[in-house]
Amino acid sequence: MADLTAITSWALADVQHFARRAGFGLTPADAAVLQAQAPGAAIDAWIDGTGTAYDPAAFNAALATADVVLEPLVSANTAVAGSVDVAAVAAPHAFLVQGTEAWRNNLNTAQALLAWRMQHNPHAFEERLALFWHNLFATGWHKVNNTALMLKQIQLFRSQGLARFDDLLVLVSKDPAMSLWLDSVLNNAAGANVPNENYAREVMELYSLGADNGYNQADITQLARALSGWSYTFAEADYIQNPANPGQKFAADARFKVYDGTAIAPDTRLWWGGAATVSSSQHATSTISLFGQTLDVTTTANGWAKGENAIRSILSMKGSNCAQFLARRLLTHFVTASYTAQDQTDVAALIQGAAFDLRVILKTLLKSQFFFSAASRYALVEGPISWLVRATRMLCPALAAGSAQTPKGYPAWRLVTNSATTFDQMGMKLLDPTGPNGWKEHTAWLNSNTMRYRAKAVAALALNETRAYNGTTYPLFPTSVTTDWFPAAPASAQAVYDRLAALLQPAPIPASVSAAWLAALWPTTFTWDSASQTKARELAFLILCSPSGQLY
Amino acid sequence: MTTRREFIQTLGATGALLAGLDACGGGGSSSSPGGGTPPTPTPTSASPILVIVNIDGGYDWLNVTPPNAGANLGVYQTKRATLGITNPALLTDLGSGMALNKDFTGMDALHALGHVAWIPGIGMPNPNLSHFTCIDLWGQGAAVPAGNGWLGRFADTAFNPSGDVLRGLTVTPDLPVMLKGATRSFVSITSAGGYVYPAYLLSTSTVPDATTLETGWGTALSTSSADPGILAAAQAGKLFFDAQNNSAFGTGGTLTARTPTVLYPGDATYPVLKLSGAALSTSLSSQLKLIAQMIAAGLPAQVYFSRLSGWDTHSNQAVDHPNLQRALGGSIKAFYDDLATITTTAGLAQDRVMILAYSEFGRRVQENNGGTDHGTAGLAFCVGKSVKGGLYGGYPDLTSLDSNGNMKYTTDFRSLYATVLERWLGQAATATDTLLGSAYPRLGFL
Repeated sequence: MADLTAITSWALADVQHFARRAGFGLTPADAAVLQAQAPGAAIDAWIDGTGTAYDPAAFNAALATADVVLEPLVSANTAVAGSVDVAAVAAPHAFLVQGTEAWRNNLNTAQALLAWRMQHNPHAFEERLALFWHNLFATGWHKVNNTALMLKQIQLFRSQGLARFDDLLVLVSKDPAMSLWLDSVLNNAAGANVPNENYAREVMELYSLGADNGYNQADITQLARALSGWSYTFAEADYIQNPANPGQKFAADARFKVYDGTAIAPDTRLWWGGAATVSSSQHATSTISLFGQTLDVTTTANGWAKGENAIRSILSMKGSNCAQFLARRLLTHFVTASYTAQDQTDVAALIQGAAFDLRVILKTLLKSQFFFSAASRYALVEGPISWLVRATRMLCPALAAGSAQTPKGYPAWRLVTNSATTFDQMGMKLLDPTGPNGWKEHTAWLNSNTMRYRAKAVAALALNETRAYNGTTYPLFPTSVTTDWFPAAPASAQAVYDRLAALLQPAPIPASVSAAWLAALWPTTFTWDSASQTKARELAFLILCSPSGQLY
Repeated sequence: MTTRREFIQTLGATGALLAGLDACGGGGSSSSPGGGTPPTPTPTSASPILVIVNIDGGYDWLNVTPPNAGANLGVYQTKRATLGITNPALLTDLGSGMALNKDFTGMDALHALGHVAWIPGIGMPNPNLSHFTCIDLWGQGAAVPAGNGWLGRFADTAFNPSGDVLRGLTVTPDLPVMLKGATRSFVSITSAGGYVYPAYLLSTSTVPDATTLETGWGTALSTSSADPGILAAAQAGKLFFDAQNNSAFGTGGTLTARTPTVLYPGDATYPVLKLSGAALSTSLSSQLKLIAQMIAAGLPAQVYFSRLSGWDTHSNQAVDHPNLQRALGGSIKAFYDDLATITTTAGLAQDRVMILAYSEFGRRVQENNGGTDHGTAGLAFCVGKSVKGGLYGGYPDLTSLDSNGNMKYTTDFRSLYATVLERWLGQAATATDTLLGSAYPRLGFL
């Protein structure tokens, strides 16, 4: 059984285990600071983001003004529509994908923004949680075709990722990107129209219950009727156009609206950009029969979408099924894939006992003896994005120090995402999963191709690769071996290994393997010179590419 | 006179097994391509290659090969009032009450050559409407699914455990369950340009060479660690290492460059475009080009896997579906033609390759507003010079749908696998039955 009682003390290795799973790792020095606090209060603060250590002020300031990424159309060639010579434009440039730049709709830039946030957000848990929900509520840019709305959804996960699960489920069901992704905006069940059941099916199969777990085809059709007409509008001011090409335009923000034939707010556009004073009539005004209960789903005169009750009834009527589903997902992402049926039942009981309050659930789970048990340690293969982010957190300088290192200030995630579609080939095309089922975790992250591209990505980091771009050569991940990795000079090859292992925290590597590596790199004497510093980079690469290096 | 279709329909649901038997297949006269004498198929190659095309998302094959006669047509016209393809000018008659959508670029020409076996109504008992459940079931292809795939189990049996690393390849970045064996997995290779470590890893500089790197993977495998994560990483890394060092790759681990003389969808001067006039998607054509390049380079692969996604047409089907059909059909036709220009040490590539296209399910007969929702029975088809073209199994009876309004299957999908394993990949009959967990009737197209 899963012992969900909280730990009362922790060792450094416990702190690092927690930080890897609930964030993107901590250096040994930072972990020691956290270890000095009692685990209960420390974990609460980590999750809630309360306290100076998690104060986002400096991060937000950097985010608002940083010239942190490069736009693919960065060019002095103004003949190219949408191109901009970043160097010639006054700061701030931010990420050139939000606000008035939303018309750029550039996936790689948005991916870079997320990766950069993961690397630098002091409240790491917020980004880790958003990544978890992004996989569970997997929504793909290739159909939504709007990075601003995709990022709005990710922000929803940050702000509401610790709410009650039924509240989150309702918010996701009303989310504009989701409405486009699974065709809610085209679900017309008014009168004799046949509803589009895409979202109704997946909200149960993929987002709350699991395949064939407590519902049938009739429930899907009925739920589709309840959610018919669920769409959104956006204000004229949200309609962001490319100043140089008015045909290029995107809604940078949007608000939920049931298309039931009623008036829409003045100065408002329909979901596809059309102008109108009333919405089309797509909503089924009726009762439905869902899970054996009868629900009136007719939207009220004040716009209250009673179909929301149908979403909530997934939990109220099928709470046990939903708790089992959520337990599986939480276990596989945060604890272990080798859980027993009893473990799952225990976590499901926690979920139902907490009335689906995600903050209570996650705090309990992440403080538990079960989470900290030896069996859970290094029990999971890490997903490629967080795996790479974690390596950058360990090896690259902190935000303030990094700004002085390169012309662009920060590790150029934009060049990484623009380079041979690395995220895609590593097996996690951030913001753009192939389907609504997201990515399978644990061992499913690994095949010969994803290993190849993991090696390529960490080669860029560990081996100091550069990219030439518009006449300037940028280090992809600027780091200094002496300043960032070894502030104290190591006295031996073994000391180099020990320090790197402490930073990168792979699962235990057989002594015979590490010995073979050290023998190959330093066959004779050891001196901490520039040649050895290069070899330290190579050793970091070997650790990151090793089987143990994929676990966390 | 009883037509062949009527004959099959009189078998009803309980005739599904019979409908899979040779007696009902074989490209019978009523469905022989072009209406003339069926062509003589090329004998099965001694070095056969299977190319899987996964039509991902559950394609609406009812609009690819719609009914064009009899009671089925009436139902189709009613339930597909907006999206149905009923204008004869848009269709090629295949006989037996089945037509071929002319948007399925190139497939009418392949059909006329007698090289396409159509299997409408392919499916399974107790059909599931979930993409992911069905993808798993189709991938596993077993009487009792146990987690690994039918081609993975074939690899377990047929491939040398310590060699043959390039014998099964997917050109997709993932590794589908279909290709997962108990002891062998396929290699994923997504580009021709350097399936290699960064070049400096192979140099003699101070940088660790590949052997040092491999130490981590090799040790993890040889110590038979019980940790599934370690094993998965070690296997993936070792496959990557072995593939990279396979002599079938040229210097530096790069495939011999090749420019097809045949135009593929998306090529600048390819004559067929999207409805909008834009170029067709290159998603599948680029994969099939890469496979052609691999075959031309002499890679020893026996099975290749490719995929075209985007078929989950809940909405906007009137636009998306023709575009997808053009890309799918056009890519297969281009690939087939391209193979005629490739001579391998084991013979003309076109004589060695059979293409198997499948999807996880078909779509609901009744359209929604602008699209179609998930359904059941599908259409698989095989293309190759050794294929006896024609219609196999029975077209589903649209007047007799299940309680959810979906088609009842007429051919068990594992019959297709059994046929391919035994008659294309050369497995003995008993070995084939063992791989699938039961003796499924063979289809007559091979």
